[in-house]
Amino acid sequence: MEKIADYMYALDESAIVAITDQKGLITHVNDNFCKISKYSRKELIGQDHRIINSGYHPESFIRNLWTTIANGKVWKGEIKNKAKDGTYYWVDTTIVPFLSSDGKPYQYVAIRFDITGRKKGEEDLNKSLKEISDYKYALDVSAIVAITDQKGTIRHVNENFCNISKYSAEELIGQDHRIINSGYHPKAYIGELWTTIANGRVWKGELKNKAKDGTYYWVDTTIVPFLKADGKPYQYVAIRSDITERKKGEEHIKKINHQAIEHGKALEFKNRQLVDFCNIVSHNLRGPLINISMLIDYLEESESEEEKNEVQAKIKPVVNHLMEVFNELVESIQVKQDTAIEGEKLYLDNCLEKVLVGFETEIKEFQAEVKADFSEAPVVFFPQKYLVSIFTNLIGNALKYRSPDRSPEIYIESSSVSGATLLSFSDNGLGIDLNLHQQHLFKIRKTFHKHPDAKGFGLFMIKTQIEAMGGDIWAKSQPGKGSTFFVKIKNEKHEQH
Amino acid sequence: MNSIKNLTLIDDDEVFVYLTRKTLKKTNLVGQVRVFENGLDALNFIKTNLDRKEELPEVIFLDLSMPIMDGWQFLQEYRQLKLGPVKNITIYICSSSISPDDVARAKAINEVSDFIFKPITSQKLLDIVDSL
Repeated sequence: MEKIADYMYALDESAIVAITDQKGLITHVNDNFCKISKYSRKELIGQDHRIINSGYHPESFIRNLWTTIANGKVWKGEIKNKAKDGTYYWVDTTIVPFLSSDGKPYQYVAIRFDITGRKKGEEDLNKSLKEISDYKYALDVSAIVAITDQKGTIRHVNENFCNISKYSAEELIGQDHRIINSGYHPKAYIGELWTTIANGRVWKGELKNKAKDGTYYWVDTTIVPFLKADGKPYQYVAIRSDITERKKGEEHIKKINHQAIEHGKALEFKNRQLVDFCNIVSHNLRGPLINISMLIDYLEESESEEEKNEVQAKIKPVVNHLMEVFNELVESIQVKQDTAIEGEKLYLDNCLEKVLVGFETEIKEFQAEVKADFSEAPVVFFPQKYLVSIFTNLIGNALKYRSPDRSPEIYIESSSVSGATLLSFSDNGLGIDLNLHQQHLFKIRKTFHKHPDAKGFGLFMIKTQIEAMGGDIWAKSQPGKGSTFFVKIKNEKHEQH
Repeated sequence: MNSIKNLTLIDDDEVFVYLTRKTLKKTNLVGQVRVFENGLDALNFIKTNLDRKEELPEVIFLDLSMPIMDGWQFLQEYRQLKLGPVKNITIYICSSSISPDDVARAKAINEVSDFIFKPITSQKLLDIVDSL
């Protein structure tokens, strides 16, 4: 008997014990029961056991319990109960029916153990597991996912990966990840990627990959290393999103931008030409027109025959001048319009020879010396008409603006400068004060010397011709010593501005 | 009685000079007219006559587009002379240019009183004398 009492004591201390009669009315509860259910013993005794029913379990579960014990069999299970304050607790429950001599239960002893903690842990775990599988699902439907082992062998790919790479999962699993390598990125870029993830750090970046059919796609990539306890990666999870369209857009914008800049430059050039033209009209055409109109006004108002004749005599030269300027303008516009003109292979010494024939008289008269060295770059690709014009104007200027103190010496040279030909025409003539005239040097009707034949057209015209062929002209000069004009010829087919 | 004793034309356009001379003569407003066909010649004349006040003009009609030294370059050099205390010279730019850029540029120069678009008519000349 003492032994039984010991058992009872041990049970009371360790378990939650309740006894109900065969109808389920509570006849006994121990302290543990009161503690967990938060009811006092008084409140419990005589109550239906359903006082702690949580309503959590389905009816069938409860029915099965009652059927079992009503049949005199022990029932075991986990039950969720409700305490007095409305909180829930889980108990691992064993219900033992005590049978009367006829084999029918006359009371039930319920022995419970508190498993709320464990249950909560289980619930949390289930929740976490569900969350993880939800995450995995979300990732799988939204991103391109691949898992490789630490050597880079593909172990898992999702559907999106297969779709974009155009390989089936079977073709990919077990393959080296380089199967989708596009070869686009520099070695250093890929090297940095591997160093980062091999050291257990996350890598983020944009990668261009190659699909099975040879087409390329861009992916925004995050590679997360999964680490072992020792901190070393055992696998890499690569999460990618397709940015091919964005990349295409970026490239398109880059191209458009470049085009816009080129158009802008061309427009700026055109605009400069237009401003130049506007100045020409304003300065060079309006001037003579005003003169003509004034002269005619005078002619009409004048009453003296002598004055009439004087004024009349002045009209003709102004009209001639106007015609001349007008023709020059037309000529320069024709150069700008003549987009069909093309370069041809020309020997510089041939051209010089031809031009010098025209200057024979002057050369003799002024005892001029013309020397040339075209050995470094003997040939140019340029319209013949323009080349002759350049030679004629620059040699002509050197003779026209010779120094009164010495015989003219002209030296012409050609050299190659990165595909272009650079011509230089040096003379020992009057020179030009470029501090004063730099900005007007190649403008129409600008002259820099008192010379009866100075018209201010030659340099304007050849600049127009040279620029029409994408070349350039500039000068160096020292007053009293001489000038050197440089002409850069592109040797390319005509490029219209 | 002349309103302007001494006037200088700086212009390379022969016909314009001829006609302007005639106009000036007709108005009887101007005594002596000196003509220089570029800025440099005019500048040199002024430089050599700095101490002869009566030789310096009261009014200058300055063309812009000229060889050797144009109107802008002349103005730049003229400023350096600092003639203010010596003689009050009124400079009019007188150009065939109708470019707004030229007008704006002229307005920005203190030494320039006004911008006259060619031609110079008798009426314009009278207005100028009035405003002196």
